[in-house]
Formats: sequence, C-alpha cells, structure tokens
Amino acid sequence: MASGSGSGSGSGSERWSEGLETEAAMAMETTDVELLKRAWRNEKAAPEILQFEAALVLRAREQIQLLEETLEEFTENGVDDLVVSLYQMDLDRTLFLLRSYLRIRLQKIEKYMIHISKTNLWNRLSEQEQRFAKRCTDIMEKHLEQSVLSRLPYGYQSILKQSISSEEDDMVPEPQLDTFVFCKTKSAVGAFQLDDTGDEIVDLVADDLYVLRYKSIKGLVEGGRIDLV
Amino acid sequence: MAFSDLSHLWHRQTNKWIYLIMYGRRASQLLRELACSETGQLTTFNSDAFDQVIKECNEHNLQLQSLIRKIEDENLDIQTTRNEDHFGAVIHHLSLIRNKHCLMAYMYNRAETIQSLRWKVGPVLPQEIQEKLNYSEEEYFKNHSAAIESYMSELDLDLTVDMVPPKDPYIRVRVLDDIGEVCLGDHSISLTKHSLHFLRRTDAEPFISQGIMEEFLE
Repeated sequence: MASGSGSGSGSGSERWSEGLETEAAMAMETTDVELLKRAWRNEKAAPEILQFEAALVLRAREQIQLLEETLEEFTENGVDDLVVSLYQMDLDRTLFLLRSYLRIRLQKIEKYMIHISKTNLWNRLSEQEQRFAKRCTDIMEKHLEQSVLSRLPYGYQSILKQSISSEEDDMVPEPQLDTFVFCKTKSAVGAFQLDDTGDEIVDLVADDLYVLRYKSIKGLVEGGRIDLV
Repeated sequence: MAFSDLSHLWHRQTNKWIYLIMYGRRASQLLRELACSETGQLTTFNSDAFDQVIKECNEHNLQLQSLIRKIEDENLDIQTTRNEDHFGAVIHHLSLIRNKHCLMAYMYNRAETIQSLRWKVGPVLPQEIQEKLNYSEEEYFKNHSAAIESYMSELDLDLTVDMVPPKDPYIRVRVLDDIGEVCLGDHSISLTKHSLHFLRRTDAEPFISQGIMEEFLE
C-alpha cells in the first residue's frame, strides 16, 4: 500500500504499520461507504425525513479526514500521480455522498418545517438540524405574519388554522406518504400485509425489485429491513 | 365546499336564489400567476392584486360582523339560527378563508422558490431577481440564507458545492468574466477573462453556478 518512493529515513517498520493503518482504514471505509450510500439512497427516495445516522456520519467524517491527511502526505512525498488520483476519487466520492445526504435532509426540513416541528419526526433530526428547523420556522412565521397574516382581520390570523373556528391545524403542508417507491430487501421478509384491511398481501423475496406505496413499508424501512432504490 | 358552489345558493327558507358577485376573482389572479410561471422562477411581486385581496378580506369581515350583530340584535341564537343573515355570514366567512388560502399559497410558494435560490444561485442574488421580491421576501432570503450558513458552519462543511456526483476530481475551465486573484487552497490564481485553468471541481463549482466560469469540454 505504501508507495516505494520517499527518502526512507524512517524505519521500514514505521512505514509498514502506516500502510497497514491506511489499509485497515480503507477496508473499514468500504463498509462505511456502502452504509453511507444506502442511507443516502433511502433518504433520497423516501417522502418523509428518516432517522439521522449520527454514528455513521461521524465515522464518515473521520474517514474523510484520514484520506485528506494521507493525500497531503502523498503530495509531500511525491507519490505516484495515479495513486494520488485514486485516493482523490475515493475522497471525492465519500464527500459527495456525505454532502448530498445532509443536503437532502436539509431540503426536506425546509419543505416540511412546520409539520416536522409538530410531530415526532422532530426526534429524527440531529441537534444541529433541530436548531436549523427552529430557525427556519421562526423566519417563515415572521415572514408570513408580516406580509399576510397581520393584515387579515382578527380571527383569521393564525398560521396553522384557517380561522379560530377550525377544530384542528388545517393549514400545515405534509409529506405525501402514499407515494410509490422502488424497494428491495436483502433477506426475505415473507408474506407482508400492505394495507389495514388485509386484502393485499405481498410476498417479499430477497433481491427482487418491488414498487410499493411508501406508507405500507414505512415500518420496514425504519427497521432497516428494506432498502429504497 | 368548492368555491364554484358559492356562485349561487338556493336558500330553502325564503325560496330565493342568492346571487353573489364573484368573490375571489382577484385571488385567483394570484394563483394563475403562480401556475403560469416556470418552476424555480419568480414573477415580480404583484402588490396590486395582493393589496386588493387583503382589502376584500377586510370588507368581508365587516359584512360578516354586521350580519352577526344583526342576528344578535334580533335576539336570535347565533349558534342555531339559519336565516338569510346566517347564510350571508357563512358566505363572507368562506370567501375570506378562500382569499386567505390564496394569499398564503402565493406567499408560501414564492418562499419555497426563494429557498431554492440559495442553493442554486448563492448567498447574493443578481439584480434581476432582487427586483422581483417584495421587502419581506428580501428579508426572508437573507434570514434563511443565514440559517443555512449557520448550519454549515456548525458542521464545518460547505453543502452548496458538490451538487452533482463527481466524475473527475479536476476539470478544465474557461473563465468568462474577469474575476481577478483568487486564493484556492494554498496558492492563488489569477482568473482573467478567457483564461483556461485546470482546477479542482469543488473549487470551480461556485464560479460555474454564478455563470462566470464554464467547464471546458473538448
């Protein structure tokens, strides 16, 4: 793994263990990249925001840092261009996945900020995302109040309710949970009930591709038993 | 109750048709504006139509209140009375709500587009877009941008780059406008108009999205 060039002033065993460390990091990183890719795909396809993968994100950032440091060393030691660009590609790929994952989540928060703040979806957000969501809702409320609501007659000024005579919050945009999604399971789930009445039962076989309403398989996605593609 | 149902009602008790002036026409104008604009594009804020709809709402409210008072003055139970004054009040109430929906939809949809501008364009909006926003929307853009930036700095990660999956880590670019000296990484580059460079994709992306640099494909 460690390139042969370099002054060799360090002892051979130092470079060997360094190489081993990077190799181990690369091996672990492969599994983590797979996990990150999976989390990213699920988040992309799901209509509602999913549980934040805190540990995974932390590990991904550590790998990224390690890769960046390794690349710096390589550049200093004049390592072969091909090796450098391979590591660079790896770094770029991991960074893209991480950024895209966080970005998709942020954009879902932007879209459904009020709904998320009022339901248990709130618990799926990271601490920083919660701060962002709170700030977003405050800003949005201020904007709508200033430009519309404060100018409407008393009794019609609520952002959540059509008027004070509404029984519940009837003006909050929600994600459409019955959108169709493509999905695949890694291990067989067997006979699975798609709706409440038990009329539709589907046999979920491993590695087969299905198109189902997100609502029906919500539980399976949350439990990590099915992947969205 | 669909708004089209309100254009005339058969009032059972008095056996009369109640005709209405088509309320909500101005509000529909706002919605049509939204529907006709391309996704991600904003039209100039229609403050004329907007103010008119607000005015209508307040007129509806005055009418509504006076009808309610009339019912109370006649010593009738406001909850159960079903006379023409009651139905008149209902129509004003529903028209008000219909107008509120339209106003909220107009503002909210525009706000969503404004949010997307931070991702697509960047922290500073070009003049031709700024002109289309009303005062509150300009403030909203600034505040919302600040929220995004705060989140990114908490994570120490710029999420506005890397918008497409990476193919090559480095790309050839042609500079379209004089940008001047720019510090990229640990060295600075002079980005003069028409110059060609070989840059890291993530370094070039913000310039490309602003339209002052383009990828040079042979």
